[in-house]
Amino acid sequence: MRTFPAWLMLTLFSLGPLALLLRISMYKPGQGRGFYMPGTWTVQNYIDLARDAVLPGILGFTLGAALGMTLLTMVVAYPLALWVHNLPTRQRPVALGLIVLPKLCNVLAVLFGLRLLIPRGLLGVLIAEVYLLVPYAVVLLVAWLKRIDLALHEAARGLGASPWQIFWRVTWPLSRPGLMAATQLTLVWALAALLGPLLFGDAEQTTLAVEVQRQATEYHRWPRAAALAVLLLAVIAVPILLVPRGREAT
Amino acid sequence: MPNTGTTSPNTGNDGYYDRDEGLAIQDVTFRYGTNIVLQNLCLSITPGTFTVLLGSSGCGKTTLLRLIAGHLQPQHGSIHLAGRDLTHLPAEQRNIGMVYQNYALFPHLDARANVAFGLEMRRLPRSEITSRVEAILDRVGLPAEARGRKPEALSGGQQQRVALARALVIEPDLLLLDEPLAHLDRQLREQMRQELRTGITTLMVTHDPDDALALADQVGVMEAGRLVQWGAPREVYERPIHARVARLLGAVNLLPGGVLVRPERVRLVPGDQPVTQVQYRGSRALVQVAGILAEVDASTAPQVGQRVGLDIPEAACWHMPGEQE
Repeated sequence: MRTFPAWLMLTLFSLGPLALLLRISMYKPGQGRGFYMPGTWTVQNYIDLARDAVLPGILGFTLGAALGMTLLTMVVAYPLALWVHNLPTRQRPVALGLIVLPKLCNVLAVLFGLRLLIPRGLLGVLIAEVYLLVPYAVVLLVAWLKRIDLALHEAARGLGASPWQIFWRVTWPLSRPGLMAATQLTLVWALAALLGPLLFGDAEQTTLAVEVQRQATEYHRWPRAAALAVLLLAVIAVPILLVPRGREAT
Repeated sequence: MPNTGTTSPNTGNDGYYDRDEGLAIQDVTFRYGTNIVLQNLCLSITPGTFTVLLGSSGCGKTTLLRLIAGHLQPQHGSIHLAGRDLTHLPAEQRNIGMVYQNYALFPHLDARANVAFGLEMRRLPRSEITSRVEAILDRVGLPAEARGRKPEALSGGQQQRVALARALVIEPDLLLLDEPLAHLDRQLREQMRQELRTGITTLMVTHDPDDALALADQVGVMEAGRLVQWGAPREVYERPIHARVARLLGAVNLLPGGVLVRPERVRLVPGDQPVTQVQYRGSRALVQVAGILAEVDASTAPQVGQRVGLDIPEAACWHMPGEQE
């Protein structure tokens, strides 16, 4: 029974809460605070969501913002990862440490600090989220780049390739699977973006996660919040299931 | 065996540099931090010959290849090839072919594209690239059906052929081989050995004495960043300057006074010394008698415990100049 603890963990921390979430989303509107109350199964919350006039806008912004955040994050993270990768071995962990440093600080403290520096509104939301996502993407990309044999760069140079040609003909194609994997993970995180839109956005920059938070903690509509959370999960599942995983490089 | 290398003093062939042709390495020193990896190394290689540098790991032989290829810069000294001063030339302008120990084939390109890489960097017309790639793959003997495969789908021997073809197709002035046979099994190794002799000026580094003796026109022995001996394989094997060089090249008997006798020169005769050990090696056998090794025909090898005598001809003894009593 070697797999038993894994199943236990999965049930306790993942499947269990998920079942609870689904259950709460099927209480009658206005009922339920996470405890079991018999006899109140309904899909009314989902019907309400489908009829909601504001939700398509929120959904659209969530998707559009997530794509924008992901794109910007990769545009910043990939060159940064290449820079770290090409540093002398001794300087590499230092540079990586500096990039990850903001993550060691409380995220709210970081974001309230950022509020002093960057404007509110769409631009602020994007900058804040990119700021939060870049370190993860860089760590993932550097780990991938490390797997590319340095002898390949030497071999390419010896065959007459200039630094640019080495990049386009060797580094770029070999790092593409890693870039895909990092993009996929970043997209998943960006779809669940909460703090950036919450602290930097106004009514127009409401993401699904912000709406879940608002319904649950401001209006105390737990069943509606739960139904929205299920919808968010479904949205996040799309890139996880559809985007092919980065293939193993040799 | 085309052992045509000229013999020269044991300390290397400093003094004469032909800067118009071949490879000339003059007084090259390379330090990594405070660690001296190569010290005042001199070496010159006649065009068209095959040179093997033999040394144990850490002696600086791979560093020397990377210096010649241009991936490292020496702190002191100069490197000339075919009349050009390479010392400060970027690696991509040196026109040197290299086969790496792990082959370093591009994993995302198939065999043909790997070989074509260097020609594409030279911006040759597509048709010329295609014909030269096929011609060189014919020459190294890569089967047609393997040419469209990625490296991971090729056998070790095929990867080796692709790596060799990729280095040869650019018509290099010099071919560098870094332990190219290390990952091959014995049978393939002996087959590939002769294919490494391409007629191009070649410098190979290895720790394997069999490869060195079988392939080389001249052998250089490296030790702790220095070239300690230089000469034809036969000379280096039979007349090593000291015991470490002698051991690097094969089994030894060291007699008092710094005298070397190779086991195959020791003869077994009737006598009363007991045989203490017999190591069977197929066609030959290594027999130990009174602390001396004798290599004899396996069919005539005595049993352990059998009593024999030893005959060491005077001509088989070599007084190693680097060994003091």
